[in-house]
Amino acid sequence: MLEVVELSAGYLGENIVHEVSFSVAEREVVALIGSNGAGKTTLFRAICGLLPPSRGTVVFDGGRITGRRAHAIARRGLAYVPADRHLFPDMAVSENLDLGAYPHRPARERRQLVFDLFPRLAERSRQAAGTLSGGEQQMLTVGRALMANPRLLLLDEPTTGLSPRLAAEAYAALGALRNHGLTILVAEQQVPLALQLADRGYVLEDGRIQLDGTAAELGQNPDVQRAYLGIA
Amino acid sequence: MAEATTTEQPELPATTRPVATVGKATGSVVRAYAPIAVVGVLAALLPLHYGDSRSMMRLIIGGVLFAAYVVGFNVIFGSTGQLFLCVGALAGLGGYASAILSDRSGLPVVLALLVAGGLAAVVGGLLSWIAVSRSLGVIFTGIVTLAFSLAFHNLLLGQRDLTRGETGLVVDAGSDSFLGERVPPYYALLALVLAYLVIHRALQRSRVGWAFRALRDDEIAAELTGVDVKLYRVLAGVLGSAMIGLAGALYAHTEGFISPSTYAFGEVDVRVLVMLAFGGIGSLLGPVIGSAAFTALDEWLASSNEYRLIIYGAVIVVLFLGFPQGVAPSVHALVQRLRRRTSGARRRN
Amino acid sequence: MKAVVLDGLVLGLQFGLLGVGLTLVYGLGGVLNLAHGQLAVLGAMVVALRMDAGSPAVLAVLTGLAAAGAVGLLLDRTLLQAVYRRRGESRVLLGLLLMLGVAFMIEGFLVWRYPIESLRLRIGGDPVDILGVGMRTGSLLASAIAVGTGAALVVFFRLTPLGKAVRSVIQNEEGAQLCGVNPAMVRTLVLALSGVLAALVAITRSMTSPVPVDAGIDLTILALIVAVVGGLGSVSGAFLAGVLLGIVNTVSAHYIGTYVTTIVLLGAAAVTIVLRPSGLLGMGRE
Repeated sequence: MLEVVELSAGYLGENIVHEVSFSVAEREVVALIGSNGAGKTTLFRAICGLLPPSRGTVVFDGGRITGRRAHAIARRGLAYVPADRHLFPDMAVSENLDLGAYPHRPARERRQLVFDLFPRLAERSRQAAGTLSGGEQQMLTVGRALMANPRLLLLDEPTTGLSPRLAAEAYAALGALRNHGLTILVAEQQVPLALQLADRGYVLEDGRIQLDGTAAELGQNPDVQRAYLGIA
Repeated sequence: MAEATTTEQPELPATTRPVATVGKATGSVVRAYAPIAVVGVLAALLPLHYGDSRSMMRLIIGGVLFAAYVVGFNVIFGSTGQLFLCVGALAGLGGYASAILSDRSGLPVVLALLVAGGLAAVVGGLLSWIAVSRSLGVIFTGIVTLAFSLAFHNLLLGQRDLTRGETGLVVDAGSDSFLGERVPPYYALLALVLAYLVIHRALQRSRVGWAFRALRDDEIAAELTGVDVKLYRVLAGVLGSAMIGLAGALYAHTEGFISPSTYAFGEVDVRVLVMLAFGGIGSLLGPVIGSAAFTALDEWLASSNEYRLIIYGAVIVVLFLGFPQGVAPSVHALVQRLRRRTSGARRRN
Repeated sequence: MKAVVLDGLVLGLQFGLLGVGLTLVYGLGGVLNLAHGQLAVLGAMVVALRMDAGSPAVLAVLTGLAAAGAVGLLLDRTLLQAVYRRRGESRVLLGLLLMLGVAFMIEGFLVWRYPIESLRLRIGGDPVDILGVGMRTGSLLASAIAVGTGAALVVFFRLTPLGKAVRSVIQNEEGAQLCGVNPAMVRTLVLALSGVLAALVAITRSMTSPVPVDAGIDLTILALIVAVVGGLGSVSGAFLAGVLLGIVNTVSAHYIGTYVTTIVLLGAAAVTIVLRPSGLLGMGRE
């Protein structure tokens, strides 16, 4: 479904991500593990079109999307859930969701699906997005991305600012989505949750892929355990 | 936005390069100010050719006047990035203040000039201070100064008892001195411009100039290295406004007659913007180059007043789109590149 | 006094419409369209010329609106692309200066070719009594159009998908992109729309007093003041500010004088910037 080949990207002439290659097959859940500053967000932004890559190619669903603009990529079915959310603060929850489905209307059934997944949002459907709590905003961002019925969901640290309980809830929702056939690529610092959900994973550090393997393999890997799981 | 790098003045031809015997330090000082002297000498020769024609003298007086305005604007905008769209108003403040003080209160012209310049400096400094303490960006600074400019224009029009409104004010003080003649006002204004250029150059070479460049480059970094950004911005505002106000005041006495349209936005600010953009924002001699170019252009277009506005508009668009550094510095850079290429070719042979 | 206030209301509705076009374009892309007034006059001049050539009024008006919209669209697709490529203050400065240049070019051209042209639409009929004041039919029609357009805009922005898409770009451009909204297309659309709105204001204005060919600068300044006081980027803010300033304008002009009135309006803008930059209803962002 997604194939990234030798992708390099960065800002102001300096690359942050260097020749990264990886793939995500249909219906897979793949975890991208890395610490702060490893380049996860830069990589995602380069894939979804918010940042033009300096080298390499990205193929999504059989078509090349390298260097295409974000709105075109979004319309092809690649939904990005950014860590800093990018919600519309003065619009209601329901309006934010509807915009997620912008190219394809009407949106009522999809909205109900999102509300089923995140009942909290249903309660606050008329509230302005800017007044929601951090956790609710996070849920809204995921919900908005789901409104377009995407083929691939890219999540950038979805548990940022969430309490452990909410984080677990979020991952439960993602699990439900996976069972519905959604392909997911999730970048995480909170590794245990991600590895629980994922089939496979990659470790990104200093802008390069350092390790890859199944979720189980990564979980057993002593380096991974030391760096991300707090196991000495 | 046009990067305000303080570009070096054009390289001196070999004959004017100072001889090493005087000592390296003095040599570099001479080097730094020599271009100003060259400009001064060349400009001083102009009246020898045009001195007999009243209209030509008026033209080149206008040219030096605007050069003075542009140097002041350059200090404010070129050095610290504050978009002051009120150059005309500051000049008008100086002009009307000096005229009214000297004619009504009997203040000697020299004193009136100084007070007028000081008044403009205070107002300009105040505008800077407001912009700085409220952290107004480019747009809001521009709008506030534009509002001031327009409000001042309306003030001049409305306060008819003081300013004679639209009909304009006759300025008697100074008209019986050398300022009332045909050629001397030119030298007076030229002396002013050269003084301004010297001040600007001295500023550029001093710690203040270094602070200006730092804050223009990266405000936060400058602040962190101890540059009081607020202070330097206000300083630039005060100094530049003083320059503009004094020039406007001097002009009032040489011309003998001023009206609100003498200092209107459309008359002054538009021209100043275009002249500086052409000559190179932040450069030393940019104001002179820009003023010379557009005074000549104005003269050429004088017969076709109608599409003067169209030409100005087109020039602005082309300038800011194609030559963000200004035409003069771009041409200079091009010449440098060609020079390097030909000297390289010569060496290879 | 009542008559003055009502006159102010009529004027204020037009002020509001004038400010809306300007504030939209700024909210979308950070471009301060200093050629707004000239676009308005351009539209009005096209109407005048068409009517001089014998075209029926309604058709002439539609032509004028279309012309202004087309120029707006053209400007966005050409010059403004260079502006959008930059970020932050660099973009703001370039946009401001380029549009200033465009303003000169448009005004220069119009004044040069049609120096004595002006638009005046006379609406027939006897004055109608509103709240005890005799209102001319021209004023009433102008107000009705302004209110109607305002309502249409509200419906557009609050209820239609495209209108919400425009708001989404104003509130968070990257978020809008992630939803499949093309910000460039939205910007072009809005600039064309603002051209149409500007021309509409000039045309409704001509129903009460003639609009001369050099009215551009005054209209731009007015639009600027209204947009700033209402909060740059806020459509409802522009309307509110427009109405308030319209009333202030007529009351002040009636009881004090024109020069002071202008200073008061300019002062309102300056005070807003210094004390509350987000304006009356702005979003509190830069």
